[in-house]
Amino acid sequence: MIEFEINGKPVSVDADPDTPLLWAIRDEIGLTGTKFGCGIGMCGACTVHVGGRATRSCITPVSAVEGTSITTIEGLSAQDNHPVQEAWRNLRVPQCGYCQSGQIMQAAALLQDIPAPTDEDIDAVMTGNLCRCMTYPRIRNAVRQAAAAMTQGNSDNG
Amino acid sequence: MANLFSRLRQSPDAAGENIPSELDLTRRGFLISASAAGAAFGFPLAGNAAMDPEAADGVPATSDGATFEPTIWYWIDSEGLVNVNIIRAEMGQHVGTAIARILADELEVAWDNVRITHVDSAEKWGTMVTGGSWSVWQSWPVYRKAGAAGRVALIEAAAEKWGVDPATCQARDGTVSDGSNTATYASLVAEGLQRSFTEDELNALPLKPHAELRLVGKDVKALDIDTKTNGQAIYGLDASVDGMVYGVPLIPPTRLGSSVNSVDDSAAKDVKGYLQTLTLNDPSGTVPGWVVVLGDTLMAAKRASEHVSVDWQAGEHAGVSEEDINARSRELIADKNYGAILPSDNPDSAPAFEAAADVLEAEYVTQTVLHMQLEPANATVFQNEDGIWEIHTGNQWQSLILPTLSAALEAPADQIVMRTYMLGGGFGRRLNGDYAVPAALASKALGGKPVKLVFMREDDAKFDSPRSPSVQQLRMAFDDAKAVTGMDHNAAAGWPTQVMVPSFMPKGVNDEPYDPFAIDGADHWYDVGALRVRAISNDLANATFRPGWLRSVGPGWTNFAVESFMDEAAHRVGEDPLTFRLNHLTAKGQNAGSAPNAVGGAKRQANVLRRVAEMSNYGSADLPADTAIGLATTFGQSRTMPTWVGGAVQLHVNRETGYIDVQKMWLSFDCGTVVDPDSALAQCEGAALWGLSMALYEGTRFEDGNVVDRNLGTYTPLRMIDTPDMEIEFVDSSEVPVGLGEPGTTVIAPAIANAIYNAVGARLRSLPITPDAVVAALKD
Amino acid sequence: MLKRVFWATSAVILIGAAGFGIYAYKPAIEPVDANSRTAFDPEIVEKGRVLAAAGYCSECHTAEGGPPFAGNYPMDTGFGTIYATNLTPAKETGIGSYSPEAFRRAMKEGVRRDGRHLFPAFPYNHFTKMSDEDVDAIYAYIMTEVPPVELETKENELPFPLDLRFLQAGWKLLFVDFDDYEVDQAHSEEWNRGAYLAEGLAHCGACHTPRNPLGAEIESDQYGGAQINGWTAPALTPRNASAVPWTAADFKSYLTEGVSANHGISAGPMGPVVHIGIRELPESDIDALSLYLGEKSGTNNGDPVDTSAVVRSLERGRPDPQYRKDQGERLYATACASCHYNTEQIAAGRPDLGINSATNLETPDNLIHVILDGVSGPEGIEGVVMPGFRDALSPTEITAIAAYLRDARANRPAWPDLAETVTRLSNTAAPAE
Repeated sequence: MIEFEINGKPVSVDADPDTPLLWAIRDEIGLTGTKFGCGIGMCGACTVHVGGRATRSCITPVSAVEGTSITTIEGLSAQDNHPVQEAWRNLRVPQCGYCQSGQIMQAAALLQDIPAPTDEDIDAVMTGNLCRCMTYPRIRNAVRQAAAAMTQGNSDNG
Repeated sequence: MANLFSRLRQSPDAAGENIPSELDLTRRGFLISASAAGAAFGFPLAGNAAMDPEAADGVPATSDGATFEPTIWYWIDSEGLVNVNIIRAEMGQHVGTAIARILADELEVAWDNVRITHVDSAEKWGTMVTGGSWSVWQSWPVYRKAGAAGRVALIEAAAEKWGVDPATCQARDGTVSDGSNTATYASLVAEGLQRSFTEDELNALPLKPHAELRLVGKDVKALDIDTKTNGQAIYGLDASVDGMVYGVPLIPPTRLGSSVNSVDDSAAKDVKGYLQTLTLNDPSGTVPGWVVVLGDTLMAAKRASEHVSVDWQAGEHAGVSEEDINARSRELIADKNYGAILPSDNPDSAPAFEAAADVLEAEYVTQTVLHMQLEPANATVFQNEDGIWEIHTGNQWQSLILPTLSAALEAPADQIVMRTYMLGGGFGRRLNGDYAVPAALASKALGGKPVKLVFMREDDAKFDSPRSPSVQQLRMAFDDAKAVTGMDHNAAAGWPTQVMVPSFMPKGVNDEPYDPFAIDGADHWYDVGALRVRAISNDLANATFRPGWLRSVGPGWTNFAVESFMDEAAHRVGEDPLTFRLNHLTAKGQNAGSAPNAVGGAKRQANVLRRVAEMSNYGSADLPADTAIGLATTFGQSRTMPTWVGGAVQLHVNRETGYIDVQKMWLSFDCGTVVDPDSALAQCEGAALWGLSMALYEGTRFEDGNVVDRNLGTYTPLRMIDTPDMEIEFVDSSEVPVGLGEPGTTVIAPAIANAIYNAVGARLRSLPITPDAVVAALKD
Repeated sequence: MLKRVFWATSAVILIGAAGFGIYAYKPAIEPVDANSRTAFDPEIVEKGRVLAAAGYCSECHTAEGGPPFAGNYPMDTGFGTIYATNLTPAKETGIGSYSPEAFRRAMKEGVRRDGRHLFPAFPYNHFTKMSDEDVDAIYAYIMTEVPPVELETKENELPFPLDLRFLQAGWKLLFVDFDDYEVDQAHSEEWNRGAYLAEGLAHCGACHTPRNPLGAEIESDQYGGAQINGWTAPALTPRNASAVPWTAADFKSYLTEGVSANHGISAGPMGPVVHIGIRELPESDIDALSLYLGEKSGTNNGDPVDTSAVVRSLERGRPDPQYRKDQGERLYATACASCHYNTEQIAAGRPDLGINSATNLETPDNLIHVILDGVSGPEGIEGVVMPGFRDALSPTEITAIAAYLRDARANRPAWPDLAETVTRLSNTAAPAE
């Protein structure tokens, strides 16, 4: 049994230690918002947060996350209203939507580390997430919009 | 199969009207039902076979109390809820949102009360296909009339109730009023409403004038986006059926003609969760030589599959390479008697070339392109309690694969239903539903037990129906005044339609059938004197792999050739490429266009070209060294439904490394009426970037009978960092709305090739354009 | 932590057999009855727990999935496998019958209660520097807190004559200084505390000091860097290849959090040293250790950190639109940069690979290990994971990424044997989690 926390709830998974975390999340725990794209960490569709950091779950063995705390798209915010999600809806970023869980999780992690990203920062960090519908212009704008909203929110709070 | 396509063959226009028109839809459906309480499904136990993308669980809205169902396309219930049935697959176009609004606009209901249901594959829905950029174009007349039927019925019911003349009443936001009385649609439905129309009556229904459209062309909330931001959208890969087992395929060395000599799974038996290995017996011939490894989890099946060894007898094309395929293309082009000649005002170009003072010739080559839709192919299949085979998957052409599934399952078509999930990318890959066949065969082998078959990425690439490599040879005749007198366009490639739906192929003027999707674009709108377009099917390509329809299909390569060649021709006669093009877009003869879909013809193409020239400051921009703008113009998808596209690309060429820095792209579209502005823009953004991706970054090649690049480590589509600025405009128009999913892809590659020439004088005639090719071309 | 083992194959030749026999002889110490042992002061027991953790005893004395301290952890020596002994207070198979004297002799002289010599896989050459008081505290902890588990230690799989324990006495004679830690008056009390811990209990040199052909640490090259289990234990001297010199503050962060922003994370054999080891020590001890290591690295002189290397690295890490020109750069941009890219400064948790130790070391081993197998939750920054690319990228692709990092990011000469190293490590099975 491998134990960890997912979206705030403790889980134990009875899976082969080599099982990629992605499939433990999808098939064992039953959260299917996290997607399978390439299986080699090159598309980002499987991105979740482990310990608050964006992580490609398709190449992370479930044994490696023992004792960690994981967040998936389903747990990013209680009301699906994380500023990144809001920006994604405002700008209607998704087309087919398949990569967008990963894009959103990656963007949320980006803004945590780099709250006011430049275009160069967005290029560097978001290039690991493939969008086959090529929604990149909207992703870029949505990251900017979310960054502004979060900075605004923080200064309001402060 | 014959039944399925007979309707499609009824198309009236012999000269290339080769695609299902609105007729398919109008012929069925307007059987008026009164207060029908039935759900919109064809199968009693398959109640879950339809899907509402807005609902977290995907389950469609159900009606409350009495229901008015004026046509099969929607119902209104006694709460005023309007549920619109959509036969198109949702793969990023927000297609339900676009189509439902066409109906809601005519029906005069508030958008907040509209739900959509992506329906199952019951026969009553007719041909179900989502491709060719057809969805809005084909739905436009049908859903408008359907909406008008409801509006008229409700107005007349209210008028009768009030004893007034219906002409004094009007409907707005789901309410009928005559100035003194008002009644909501909900109340009218609750009171019971019966009304029927003959087909003639339907055709005579008054449609709203363009100026009174309240939802079409306006910004409304898309009904499939929220669930795509919180993980709730349900894709084929998310399908879950009680008791299902998982399968992973072992794919034979060749796409066709392989067989299994022996299978040894002894090493897999120790893998925890391994169940068994099936050698598929496929009466449909779709997956010859396939083996499926089953496990109680997907990873168990995958791990076990790594320990199963299969000895195959490979098909005869196991050694074929991209070079072999292209060599065959050249061989067939050289054989003047081979191929189909497309209709044109004057297809006999020989005299023009005989009399020519000058002839320009060029060959263009495009490499194999993979779909790489992000959700790998997958399907879940089982036989339900009623004996119905349920196919749960994402699919773009249900009507095409159901007969194949029927053959594979050896079950009549009415015993098979497909539930279409959200598609994690379509791009034409899921027009060919072949991936559902091995899942069905595996379930069949287990007596109908649910099997979820998932392709790993490498398997998905190996089993893709890729965009065929192509070779095109073009020539143009000039007289001694440098006027264009004739043009030949020979295009050879694998033909998806020949392989998949031969009945779909029209005949050329020499009575030879051709794949319209593999040649559309070559039959351009320029006046060039005699135009001889010869479409050639590459038999070696067709025998080596399944050529696929990939976002714009043939226009992806034909337009690269035509629009590069037009620039080459302009330079040959010493004219600016913009002027040269405009001089030949004179809208004469067959290029004058025709109602309803191609009103204005080449004039509208000239207009979008002028627009992008203006937008980009083409010709007047003061640009640094080795930097230039290139132009191109195309019409998508075909002459029968042209969306006019102008494209301009500004780029800089690094002479040392060959790196192309695409700085900005401008596009102008004239697609007639824009139904869903934001989604239209999104489609054009995505299409243009696909075009850029295929121009510079995407391409694989065949080697040993299959593609060499099978995952994103070596197959390298455009990413965020490669994304340039774009400026996109739509020409204001009230013409018939045509398609937008694909046309944007086709202008970019030729605009780039032309810009490179303008920047550094090197002509690139091969896609993708790699830095190495640029450096090599600069050396020449 | 000492998983590499060294052998005095020829020591015996150098020593006169007769005199050696006398020297080598150690008497047995009488067994004690576990039941007669009186209870220890809880404070001493707690101190012992901390020391046992900081000396990572359980790391080598616990088999994978086995009971803690019960032994049988296999150490592959290259000559054969030896198994760590059972340290639980079990009467028959553990150390339940050890008196404090017997335990002290084992720790500080490398001799079992029954008088037989221990193999130097057990770093008594370091523990001999420890005070009796500290050793006794560990004894108190083991006897009080560690549950006794009767588990026979497996027979070592050593060929003759390496299995002759008495020969170990010769090795000791040659290489071990059995004196207690000697205070260095030239340094502060804190420095001396750090040195006492590093040289004794923490036995840093066991991994970080290179060894002579007979497997003994080369005193003149203390902390000069060495290889262990296919990883590189970097030099803890001015020879350290870091782009940014290590300071006491860096060591402190590394030894408590498992990460130093300017150097990298604790992974591989160093993972447990931090995470189940050193950081159990009181902060004052970690400060002392950090001060000592910082000074050993020669850079602990209070100068402000040289940030130019960081600035240069960040500059080189900017996204390059021409990233496709090099396979390694392209793969880095698509598979690595999302986590490793930094903007104006290095963010905690975004290791910058231009200045990372793994990229700057003379050998690529550490970098390749981490690319292949990632970093699990308990390693490195606790609770954070790096995925492994063993099944995702080919050796050629991993080689390309490593070569790119070395050249374009660390700006250092190419590793000569990079491709071979990647192939070799790729062919070695991933460590079990």
